[in-house]
Amino acid sequence: MVKQQEHDQHPAMHPSRRTVLKSAAGAAALGTSGALGAFSELAFAQANLRAEITKIPGVGKGAPTDADWQKVGELCLGPTKASIKEGEFKGVELSFMGLNNQNLHNLLFRGFLKPWEAYTGARISWIDLAQADYNPRLQQAIATGTVDFDILEMGAPFEGDVCGKGLASEMPDWVKKQIDVDDYVDYLKPPVGTWNGKTYRVTIDGDCHNFNYRTDIFSDPTLAKAWKDAGNSTDWGVPKTWQQVQAVTKFLKGKKIKNQNAFGYLDAPKPWGGFGFYFLGSRASAYAKHPDDKAWLFDIDTMKPRINNPAWVRAIQDVIDALPFEPADQLNADPNTTGFQQFLAGIGSMIPWWGDIGQVAKASDTSVIGDVVAFDILPGSDDVYNSKTGKWDKLSSGPNHAPNCAYLGWGVYVMARVNGDEKKHKAAWSAAAHLGGKDLSLWMVMYPSGFQAHRTSHFQYDEWVAAGYDRKYITSYLNSQLASYNHPNRAVEPRIPGIFQYYSIAEDELTKIFAGKVDAQTGANNIAAAWEKLTDQIGRERQIGLYKASLGV
Amino acid sequence: MRLISMQNSVPVSDDLHHQPAAKRARGSRKIAGRALVLLASLGFLLVLFIQILHTTGTPTAGFSDWRPILIAYLVWAVAFGIGQVLTRGERGQRALFLLPAVFFTVAVVIFPTIFGIYIASLDWNLSSIEGPRFSGFDNVRGMLNDTYYWNALGNMVFYTAAVLGEYAIAFGLALLLSAEIRARKFFRVVFLLPMMLSPVAVSWMIGKSLMEYRFGPAATLARYLGWDNPAFFASPWMARFSIQAMDAWVSIPFIMIILLAGLQAMPKEVQEAAKVDGANGWQSFWHVTFPIMLPVSITVLIIRIIFKLKLADLVINVTAGGPGGATDTVSSFIYRVYRDRSNVGYGTALAMVYLLMIIVLLTVLLRLSKRWTQKVV
Amino acid sequence: MTRSTLALKPVQRRSAAPRAKRTLSRVLIYAALLFWTIICLFPIYWTVTTSFKSAVDVTQAHLVPWVDFQPDWKGWRSLGLSPDTLFGTSTARSEFANRFVNSIITSVGASLLALILGSLAAYGLSRFRYKFAWMRNDDILFFFMSQLILPPVVLALPFLVLYKALALLDTRLGLVLLYTLTVLPIVIWIMRDQFNAIPIELDEAAFVDGLSTWGAFLRIILPLAVPGMMAAFILSLVLCWNEYFFAALLTSTDAKTLPVMVASQTGSQGINWWSMAALSTAAIAPLVLVGIFLERYIVSGLTTGAGK
Repeated sequence: MVKQQEHDQHPAMHPSRRTVLKSAAGAAALGTSGALGAFSELAFAQANLRAEITKIPGVGKGAPTDADWQKVGELCLGPTKASIKEGEFKGVELSFMGLNNQNLHNLLFRGFLKPWEAYTGARISWIDLAQADYNPRLQQAIATGTVDFDILEMGAPFEGDVCGKGLASEMPDWVKKQIDVDDYVDYLKPPVGTWNGKTYRVTIDGDCHNFNYRTDIFSDPTLAKAWKDAGNSTDWGVPKTWQQVQAVTKFLKGKKIKNQNAFGYLDAPKPWGGFGFYFLGSRASAYAKHPDDKAWLFDIDTMKPRINNPAWVRAIQDVIDALPFEPADQLNADPNTTGFQQFLAGIGSMIPWWGDIGQVAKASDTSVIGDVVAFDILPGSDDVYNSKTGKWDKLSSGPNHAPNCAYLGWGVYVMARVNGDEKKHKAAWSAAAHLGGKDLSLWMVMYPSGFQAHRTSHFQYDEWVAAGYDRKYITSYLNSQLASYNHPNRAVEPRIPGIFQYYSIAEDELTKIFAGKVDAQTGANNIAAAWEKLTDQIGRERQIGLYKASLGV
Repeated sequence: MRLISMQNSVPVSDDLHHQPAAKRARGSRKIAGRALVLLASLGFLLVLFIQILHTTGTPTAGFSDWRPILIAYLVWAVAFGIGQVLTRGERGQRALFLLPAVFFTVAVVIFPTIFGIYIASLDWNLSSIEGPRFSGFDNVRGMLNDTYYWNALGNMVFYTAAVLGEYAIAFGLALLLSAEIRARKFFRVVFLLPMMLSPVAVSWMIGKSLMEYRFGPAATLARYLGWDNPAFFASPWMARFSIQAMDAWVSIPFIMIILLAGLQAMPKEVQEAAKVDGANGWQSFWHVTFPIMLPVSITVLIIRIIFKLKLADLVINVTAGGPGGATDTVSSFIYRVYRDRSNVGYGTALAMVYLLMIIVLLTVLLRLSKRWTQKVV
Repeated sequence: MTRSTLALKPVQRRSAAPRAKRTLSRVLIYAALLFWTIICLFPIYWTVTTSFKSAVDVTQAHLVPWVDFQPDWKGWRSLGLSPDTLFGTSTARSEFANRFVNSIITSVGASLLALILGSLAAYGLSRFRYKFAWMRNDDILFFFMSQLILPPVVLALPFLVLYKALALLDTRLGLVLLYTLTVLPIVIWIMRDQFNAIPIELDEAAFVDGLSTWGAFLRIILPLAVPGMMAAFILSLVLCWNEYFFAALLTSTDAKTLPVMVASQTGSQGINWWSMAALSTAAIAPLVLVGIFLERYIVSGLTTGAGK
């Protein structure tokens, strides 16, 4: 379990919402105010608010509608009302650019911001993008100077391109207070969201790859017996290392569970706009991320790619070895397929994915595995590669784990073009702060939204249970997230400009490797060569500096 | 035919109309016409000049955007048209048919083409801090070594050759539809439907849902017919055929309509005469129908090939060029380079080279086809 | 007429041949037609039924409504078009309606503009011989055709810059101009074939009657070519309606069109099959209606009406 942030520095005379919440959470859930005096009323109200909004519409009661979003937005207007007068932004027009995947993201924001618009008098117009168009649109807008939006929903990896070029507006202090930036989990605190020491990002999402597995398969007695009969000395159960994952995958091919073909681990060999590379990264992080080394993708001082070192090549080879034991069309499966068409539909027993799987498995009816899925941090490895010595180390503490904090999640940024107009500046930041509000964010991570838990205050399991989640399920899920976020050896995404270009090039080369046209080492060398070329094209010196900054070096 | 050329190189028309073509304009009208054109040209240049000065920073008055240039261009075009009529009378009127389309096309296309060629000579990665860097022909040299590009070109040969198959099927359908059948309207509408589904919908609903390996109807059918592991996109050739099948499904209606139109336009006497002469179905088709349909066929084949060479949507959404580049098309590769890797200089260069290759190919095709159609006629 | 007498003879001959052969050929013809009908219709049927499925039905690929699965309004609900959500507020539905209208305006506008420009140019290229520098009619045709060749993706940056300068970004006019450019070559080719098939004698007759070139064109020839123009119009409409790339690139809030919304149904949380199916059905429906109503022009129209 996780240690909560015990070290609030708020003096006892001004208990922060959070400290009182912690103590009053239990009381609030039961609806009693106890003997905590006047403060408890405030705390009670806050906790009550959170309990109230999370009951709209209730977990398992169908997908939230537009009306639900607006209600939640209305209820969470408190912080805005405290600092903004009614109608203060009358006449201000803002434009907001973001995604509209599956009618979430921007459509949610519209619902949340309608009450805000009604209260403040501002008007927002919306630019909706499909996921595949996001990166090119952003890049091309920047390059041609056609930045026509004031507020932007953006992923952390693109901070290099946007903040690095000075296109973002710095977060004012009042916003930091309103959204309580200290509440973010550790790995989302600065340097994430900052550039050159300035904060730009309102975090609304946390991202990491966790390990999703089928409990029924790993507790099945028939399979357990067959496992032992096949000569294995260990017990049948969820793999804890990649070596075990490989063994289990090979074993499960041909076996049946509930009269369906059983499969082990599912790889995603098809390119997915650069995002597919994260899945190889999840396979490789335990091999490549040494506890004593901050870097795992490039060498720190030279930006020399590590993609062709023995650790990564071993991961690539793992995929090659496992593919024959996976479903026949796996070569045409991208992560979207493995997650939603396969795993949630009952095929396969293990995949790494972002927290969406956990969010969707119970709450959406695309899933048939809601009751038999559990979560953990990514598997580790019996040995880990040491870049400095060039040898494989066996750690005294046991297998090496290195959760892959991939993509770092979405955030809301305000563009620098509002800086000239004070009213507009305040309006834009107020809208961003409303979306990034603490209570609103709880609702967002509980319901299908595209966003996952990212604040320490999200990890109060009682709140989730009160909203309707099954305790065992939510404990497993949230634990896997939190343990990944706070893991001392987590592998964090480098926020350098053009990072997705590296991924896209790698994906192209990897398809050739997985299709058998070239072997793992040669392919990896090709990727490394292409990456070197790209680094030079983008500007090596600057990349080195930015890479170091992103690692906190 | 008399060819009368003018001193200035302006569209001369000689034509199929057997009427006195050169209704010369009266002198005063000619002068008025010339003056009009001159005036409009000067006006346009003036506006252009002002705007260029404005953008380069000289603090003279200017416009906030380039829209006035557009309007000035329109005015100039209209003036030019009128001037043509005034100066060249009947010939001017004939030129007036073609001028709007030409002016429109040139206006929309000229800047992007020039700018595109300029970008193609740059080494420009949108993420790079220095911005664009002039690199001359480096991009083209890089292209020569680019295995992905040549792989994609190889695939295009397959895809283009497959057009003949589409053509054959479409011709068959057109023949069927022009036979004596009932419910012709129904069949015609139904056969048109595939063309109307958007490429995105086709990629997802058909490529990913219908042809889905476990439960998709296509896979179920395949299993019923005896194919145990209907993985449509897992092996190179199967993937190519699957992509080709989807593209054919969408495009055959297009070919079919045009061929059907040609068939309907064909004089029935010729077919009847063939029957009278004792030709059976196949002979009458091959020796009579097909040759007469040759010009239309060439037209439709060329248009279809041009579209086929631009095939990208299906590949991007369904296979992302895989497995291992087996289904990659040049357009989808350029798409990746330009959009996912923001390597716009290189991507544009690839496209320009591709454009040149296609122009050469089309010119050759057109020359060959001219000889064929002339032989027939 | 001679044609009918000619026709008589073969009929007499044919009736002597075994009837079975004719029946067989008819059976084969209808079988082939039916086969292709199934091929055409099944994916569309699949799309429409998927919009009425719940998630489990989609993954299990059930085929027949009410037999394999219970229809559900899920797909349409996500768009705000199901009976229960039809009268409430729905962001998705207002988005859909907005984009639908924009799609109609841009497609129809571009098709009309291309039709006008293209028909004029086609008539000129059909009747007259032009010469500009070294370019003859065929070269001019090729010039138009070459606009079709370049993959649109590389025009992204140039058009962004151009449209920004002309303040045409995110405007319907901007899209209309661009779409016109993309379909103009097709219109010209189709109409040129159409005009080539209209005999010159008609033009001549018009001149004898005292009409000028333009008069002859507008009064006599054009009405004959209307059916062909319908065909070109429909083809242009379909092409513009489904255009995705430039729509995604050049629009922000005001000029958004439908194809981008369809593409957004896939994203980081999987694929909303039912929404995508519902959107695709709604997107194809207008085209189908247009096709049904104007179908008679598409084919019979591409022939010359007058000569027959």
